[in-house]
Amino acid sequence: MTRAGRDPEPTAESEQSLLARLRAGDEAAFAELVRENGSRLLAVARRLLRSEEDARDAVQDGFLQAFRAISRFEGDARLSTWLHRIVINASLMKLRTRRRKPEASIDELLPRFYADGHRIDPGPPWRTEIPDPVESRELRELVRASIDRLPDIYRSVLLLRDIEELSTEETAAVLDVKADTVKVRLHRARQALRALLAPHLTAPA
Amino acid sequence: MTARSLSCRELIEYLAAYLDDELPHEERGAFERHLSVCPYCRDYLATYRATIHLGRRALAAEAEVLAEVPRDLLSAILAARAQG
Repeated sequence: MTRAGRDPEPTAESEQSLLARLRAGDEAAFAELVRENGSRLLAVARRLLRSEEDARDAVQDGFLQAFRAISRFEGDARLSTWLHRIVINASLMKLRTRRRKPEASIDELLPRFYADGHRIDPGPPWRTEIPDPVESRELRELVRASIDRLPDIYRSVLLLRDIEELSTEETAAVLDVKADTVKVRLHRARQALRALLAPHLTAPA
Repeated sequence: MTARSLSCRELIEYLAAYLDDELPHEERGAFERHLSVCPYCRDYLATYRATIHLGRRALAAEAEVLAEVPRDLLSAILAARAQG
């Protein structure tokens, strides 16, 4: 889980000191934990849930769970990594209760093949110069909207593996599915996302 | 013994495993031999990689927008904790 490590890292000493204050029930320490990690975790929940209200609920649920469990935190992971996992779980829990309709199929977004194994209609090549989404708001919104079009079971795996950078095993554990299922869904999700982006990124004729 | 050859369908099926370096030696060789002669599959591999990259960059940029936790969320969390 490298994403959790992208923020400026507190030293092991300051983390131990914060942990000791949390365990002692120090009010200011709880506020400090939320201030240090809240915005990053809210971004994680927003990505998974796409609803500001649900994302805030998931972050709140996650912090409350963490506060209750702080005495059982064993310090074999970083606090930020542990919180990241808890908020992902809280977000997925919300996603499960929210899901009402059956998942749409993504079959039409996957490559199709002739009986001899050749691909049907490979489509035109992509432009060689694609801007960096960090620099291009238009591209960023296109990618975000395309990810949002994926059915939840694919979108969750894509976000956890490719964006939150959980391992296959970690993703399987939080989604309660087999590792092989994660691999299959990730591959299908990337292929479907590729197909959704392709019409916008092909080279001019 | 003839070296195993892959179809485009098989190559695309093995793509994620190839990128994760999880293909057994023999399949990896067959994969790379197919790539060396098939521009369509080279193109698919390149755009599949680009898709992963675009997703990462797009969402990484979004995450940086928020500088600090919203004050009302911080208050709500601390109030909920105080209520036990």
